[in-house]
Amino acid sequence: MAAPVGAEAPAAGPGALWAEVRALLPGTEGEFTLALSGEVDPCVRPLLRRARGLLYGAEGPAGGEAAALRRLGHVLRDYSWEKLNAGPWQEVSKAWRQVYTYGCLFGALAEISAGCPPVSAVRLCDMGLLMGASVLDNVLGRLVRVLQQHLPRERRGAAGLAAEKARPEPRPAPAVRPEEELPRLRCPSLESFRDKHLIPQKPVVLEGIMDHWPCMRKWSVDYICQVAGCRTVPVELGSRYTDEEWSQKLMTVDDFIGQYIVNEKSMGYLAQHQLFDQIPELKEDISIPDYCCLGEGEEEHITINAWFGPEGTISPLHQDPQQNFLAQVFGRKYIRLYSPQDSENLYPHESQILHNTSQVDVENPDLVKFPNFRKAAFQSCVLMPGQVLFIPVKYWHYVRSLDVSFSVSFWWS
Amino acid sequence: MAAAGSSWLVFGFSTEEAAGEPGPGLGPRRLEPGPGGIRRVWPAWSYVVVETGAGLELRSAGRRQRLRGWREALPSETHVVLRGAAAARAWRRGAGLRSAAWSRFLPRGPAPRPLPLLPGGFALPRPPFYRALPAGLRARSLALGTEHVLLLGTGGDVHAWGGGRHGQLGHGTLESEAQPRLVEALAGVPMAAVAAGGWHSASVSEAGDLYMWGWNESGQLALPCKALAEERAQGEEAGAGAAALSPCPEPPEAEATTFISIQALPALLDLPQEPEVSGVSCGSRHTAAVTRGGELYTWGWGKYGQLGHGDDASSDCPRRVEHLVAQGLWAEAVVCGPWTTYVCVREPPDPPSSTADCSEDPAAGTCLGPTLPSAPQDQTCSDSVPPEPNSEPQVGLQLHEG
Repeated sequence: MAAPVGAEAPAAGPGALWAEVRALLPGTEGEFTLALSGEVDPCVRPLLRRARGLLYGAEGPAGGEAAALRRLGHVLRDYSWEKLNAGPWQEVSKAWRQVYTYGCLFGALAEISAGCPPVSAVRLCDMGLLMGASVLDNVLGRLVRVLQQHLPRERRGAAGLAAEKARPEPRPAPAVRPEEELPRLRCPSLESFRDKHLIPQKPVVLEGIMDHWPCMRKWSVDYICQVAGCRTVPVELGSRYTDEEWSQKLMTVDDFIGQYIVNEKSMGYLAQHQLFDQIPELKEDISIPDYCCLGEGEEEHITINAWFGPEGTISPLHQDPQQNFLAQVFGRKYIRLYSPQDSENLYPHESQILHNTSQVDVENPDLVKFPNFRKAAFQSCVLMPGQVLFIPVKYWHYVRSLDVSFSVSFWWS
Repeated sequence: MAAAGSSWLVFGFSTEEAAGEPGPGLGPRRLEPGPGGIRRVWPAWSYVVVETGAGLELRSAGRRQRLRGWREALPSETHVVLRGAAAARAWRRGAGLRSAAWSRFLPRGPAPRPLPLLPGGFALPRPPFYRALPAGLRARSLALGTEHVLLLGTGGDVHAWGGGRHGQLGHGTLESEAQPRLVEALAGVPMAAVAAGGWHSASVSEAGDLYMWGWNESGQLALPCKALAEERAQGEEAGAGAAALSPCPEPPEAEATTFISIQALPALLDLPQEPEVSGVSCGSRHTAAVTRGGELYTWGWGKYGQLGHGDDASSDCPRRVEHLVAQGLWAEAVVCGPWTTYVCVREPPDPPSSTADCSEDPAAGTCLGPTLPSAPQDQTCSDSVPPEPNSEPQVGLQLHEG
């Protein structure tokens, strides 16, 4: 947790930090089991053992040993990185992701023991949290929490302050005709929601659900910057993911806000990222909608994604394989929904990668190329802060942000 | 094959470091020749199999194993495949087993194609160890990437199949292919060699032109790489030296640069002064090429010194390895391991001239080509099983006979 305002700064000096960090690790080398969830290449375990050995020396890695530990961290990360990229992400073995996590752990510990500024170790922790798999009881999550407390207290940068200035005139929302408008319900009962929307698979905007979520009173661009500014996140660059120039880039939340929220020199979107696994402090500000209990899955299997971006981000018309609650925290979003029964009129891409995405630009359709699109019926809304949109499974949806916006989506079954 | 007067240099990640020991540093290392010089090398990540005058030898940190009676190797970190006169066999690395994980008898016949090719198909250094090829496909050579396969046909045609997510198949899409498929973009240009890296591909035409396609995330295609450009920009801002940065001699104008992350169709590569390429090899994320003028060029990922420039910079444009020039060494052939570059070098023939005809000296020869060494005496099918390596590396030479 970040140090609360007014708290005493933690004991100064790199020695104090190392002591705190060392306390996160198992007490003895024997207890540091280097367990992996599966088989890995035989060359890997000797490297893990050697790195572990360097940690449990007389005074921890000092001088030349920090350099050797850093080097081993690089080798372990680079070797496992190739395994992480050796096939579809879903098929990557957990063991290789764990090796990557160990590589990040050893690298972060080397940075700390060498007295480098904590930000470099924070970045390594984040790389492991993003791409690795938990080891030693989520040691990277525990480590980054300690490191954040040792960062310089002054976290409000120019990015944070500038973001507070309101837009002179909020951009007018697209017109939504009454016959297209999605119905709104205030806090329906579980049974009512189940019988009228979940079972018949009909979308609806729910109101009042988020009223008591702390994020509604706490979150702003500046708050996100304070809590998560130094953390590394994946950002989507480019107008939409169907474009050729679209790419993903890792950067800190500070940099993302500075370059893409405040300045808007080009489009950047912190999209579809499980931010709340990475930064548990933010998870405490949201809740899982009660209606998710109507599903079959366990609560741990609900995927919670953050969607944080400037005005003008676009998610092209697409469908997802699970039920979705899209909760709007700040900013407005224009959303259009098409039923799966209209799929043929929506011209999905042929390729396997984009088969869940329509080729049609919803707000500027090429009706010469896609003539049947005009036959497709749709509903739409301007999703306001405090509202939650229920998107049934495989329901086609198109989203454009009208302001700087933060949404949280819950994918459940 | 390498003649007397040739030797092999290696750049990059050492077998010592692969075992967790301190490495020898960024400079080039000369491979200890062994009896009769080193003719061919097959590098893995933590070890290398070399062919000496006395047969195959497996070299890892601090130890050597003779592999009596075997002729060719296809190594990986999980297994090693060896091919002899009458059989191919695979053993697990690092396991206590003494029996082979896989074995296949080979029909005797004329000079076989090089591994991974086998009669009727090709070998893999991991299960299932063998895949058949379609009957009509006449193969001259075959190269294995992390997820894909390249095949050079006897007619100079190139086929590519396997995983295609990074454009490494060269068919113009990111789709994977289950069966060999002709790389149409190269049809009409007879190819002399193909090479496969982690997620990239290369082929050299008979005329000496180099084509590349696949993933360019570290500049391994010698196309503008965004990540490297950003590193260079940050380095300039910080006023740092060029230690980790490697700008091209003629940087393109900033506005005109289109960065390429994936090149899904073969692109013709221009080396400085446009020499003719005689050989190419690809590591995980880097590429090395030898020219007919005996020069070695490298580009791509350089973090472990594998580019041979004495630093750890990555590069998205081809740079000549100056160490060879400075030492008056002529590059004859290049073979890349995942994080290494092995180059076969010799003193240039005198007088050196740009049109030197290497074939004048019958004892000389390139290190490329499928010619086999003269067969060792021991050719029975009970070819020795290489002893399993111990789990701890041993210091000093250990010559094991099976």
